[in-house]
Amino acid sequence: MMVGIARLLMRVATRSLGETHREWAWAMQAELQAAVDDKRPVRFALGCVVAAWRQMPGQDEGRFILVNYALALGLLVPMAALQLTCAAGFPLLPFGGAAAVAPGTLQQLYLADAHSAAMPALLALWLLLAAGHFRLAWLLLEHEWARLVQSAALVVAASATLVVFTAVLFLDGTGANLQLMLLPVEVAAIYRSARWHERLIANAAARFPAR
Amino acid sequence: MLSLLDMLSRDGRRWRHGYELMAETGIRSGTLYPLLMRMTHQGLVEAEWRQPELPGRPARHVYRLTVAGSALAQEARNEAHDLIPKGAATA
Repeated sequence: MMVGIARLLMRVATRSLGETHREWAWAMQAELQAAVDDKRPVRFALGCVVAAWRQMPGQDEGRFILVNYALALGLLVPMAALQLTCAAGFPLLPFGGAAAVAPGTLQQLYLADAHSAAMPALLALWLLLAAGHFRLAWLLLEHEWARLVQSAALVVAASATLVVFTAVLFLDGTGANLQLMLLPVEVAAIYRSARWHERLIANAAARFPAR
Repeated sequence: MLSLLDMLSRDGRRWRHGYELMAETGIRSGTLYPLLMRMTHQGLVEAEWRQPELPGRPARHVYRLTVAGSALAQEARNEAHDLIPKGAATA
């Protein structure tokens, strides 16, 4: 159990150290067995995580990783949470599936059946957007740019569909509009991150031409 | 850093594993590795990979002072010696 936790922490340390300190990450990992023999693997691994995090702000690659985590945890995951809240139709929030048409009117009676029929599709769209945002956050942290572009395209398409859907059904589109407004910010941030990563790789290749 | 310099300068320039340095200096891994990284970058410490002593174990990094590191350790020792009052040293 403790060894498992220590190995997990070592993975965090390795990922945090990045490519420029890869050899140091291997050096730390190689010492883990000595820490296991000494019955202090978690303490050692925690120290390695601290060591890795202490290096991060001082180097370009470390700052890149920190910015990516901030983007994932500060923008993409909250957006996914917003979609989930919309899907759950949380009653205290102004957005969700509420109709924009006044209740009790003839228009509302006319649309009631359409709303009921549309709810499963709307729910699926919100859930798809939530899953899409979680996936975007994960792929961003993994630097999987090709798959990230595919997922971003899916999120953009789902967002556009959602806006059209809510407009056609006279539903309150606050949540969908907010999603649409933040989408360019998300795409721009991901694009900047991808370019930054590209520059880091180019710099690393220039520094270590034989690798 | 001084305790690490002192430890690395003992027994000449013997190669030491990271965990051995932790155990001997009492410095934790969160402090030791940033120090080793910085000292290696500054040319005070050199590192190399050693084949495992037991089968199934990974290759390990070992460290020792460079000539510049040994000179700095000697300088630090001399300065520390000068700071001790003469009476205290003989008492």
